[in-house]
Amino acid sequence: MRPAADMKDFRRDLVGLLPKLRRFALTLTRDAKDADDLVQEACERAITRSQLWNGEGRLEGWVYAMTRNLWVDEVRKRKVCGGGSMVDIFDEDELSAEPSRERAVYANQLQKMILSMPEGLASAFLLVNVDGYSYREAADILGIPAGTVMSRLSTARLRLAAMLSEDSERRA
Amino acid sequence: MQQTKGLALEIRLSAYIDGELPEAEKSELDALLARDEKARALLQTLRAGSAFGNKAFEDFLHDPVPLALVRQIKQGPGITPRFARVATANLPQRNARVWPRLAAASVVLLFLGGASGFILGSTVNTYVPGPEAAERPWVQEIADYHRIYARQKRHLVEVPASQAAEIETWLASSVGVAFNIPDLSPKGLTFEGARLLVANGKPVAQLVYRDRDGNIFAICFQRNGSSEQPDQFSETIRGDLSLVTWQKDKASFVLIGPSSDPALQDIAQTAAAVI
Repeated sequence: MRPAADMKDFRRDLVGLLPKLRRFALTLTRDAKDADDLVQEACERAITRSQLWNGEGRLEGWVYAMTRNLWVDEVRKRKVCGGGSMVDIFDEDELSAEPSRERAVYANQLQKMILSMPEGLASAFLLVNVDGYSYREAADILGIPAGTVMSRLSTARLRLAAMLSEDSERRA
Repeated sequence: MQQTKGLALEIRLSAYIDGELPEAEKSELDALLARDEKARALLQTLRAGSAFGNKAFEDFLHDPVPLALVRQIKQGPGITPRFARVATANLPQRNARVWPRLAAASVVLLFLGGASGFILGSTVNTYVPGPEAAERPWVQEIADYHRIYARQKRHLVEVPASQAAEIETWLASSVGVAFNIPDLSPKGLTFEGARLLVANGKPVAQLVYRDRDGNIFAICFQRNGSSEQPDQFSETIRGDLSLVTWQKDKASFVLIGPSSDPALQDIAQTAAAVI
């Protein structure tokens, strides 16, 4: 059991991470409501298991991995409830098809563009390009091989470059 | 380090950008880039995609964090955040459903209130304030002020930030607390100006800040003796607002801002160190 003061610090650190946790959750769920629920569950789990956090490395990475695991469970649950119609994105080596337009409802145009990327791309890009994790670390968080992180990252960059081009044309 | 020989060039160049290649492969790609214009163009495209993605992901951090989630983590369990989100995209639909109910409820309450008032008014002629009125904490009054002033578009402050020296002199003499206006720009807050308020019958200085999303924050302080220990920060949430209080010398301070802001305590500590 953590001392009360440590627990307070842990909670404070967790609150400070919320915007980043929510952003990561959005790359997994690509739906704001699902992302909020997922972050809530991840934080509850992190608090419950805070004694397991040894203070080494990045707390966000630890909670990211928890978030990803919870999302895998959720996807599996939905798959069962939905009669197996839902694709388990984390068992699929190939990327799934473009998500429906209804799912890309979030915030501004740039965010919509990001959330409209095929599943798996945004998470890999976020972890490596934005948060600065190595391929190995990102692979551990996402539960996929480092080679898959590498290929998803290059695909994400090309997609984003194409979006940039479309965005520039639209503005012109 | 990743072995990428035999993989598509865009994958290899992407790993090259991330510094994930062994030295031998990096040298090989350096040589390729030196002689091959298409390879250079592809590298440029990948880099442009990276920069564009970074910008887009930065925008995600400015979205409101679910209010109840912040509360639950700060204060422990007992709240069910799933039923108390920060409303964003769904707000118009929710309003459309809620307003007719509110209007109907208002009519009923007006009727009940009128009837009750008539009955009570015939038996009670005087109102004596209860002890709770005198004991009302000053931060509650500050929260009430904040809810009103934070909505002011054109008259947010009495004295604008451009008259910083005037603000320091004026408020120090009015409140009896010497201070410096904290520069909170590293925390993303721009100083807008100041007001003089009154709480519990004492003057209160209010320094007003705005973040890049337009949210209003304020540091308020009054001369006071307090039971709070110096350098101890205490955070409480009152509805949509969060208040971080602390004591320094002979003054009580409070930072007030949206309770959905996860960095409020951090901002308070920064302000306390320099004010």
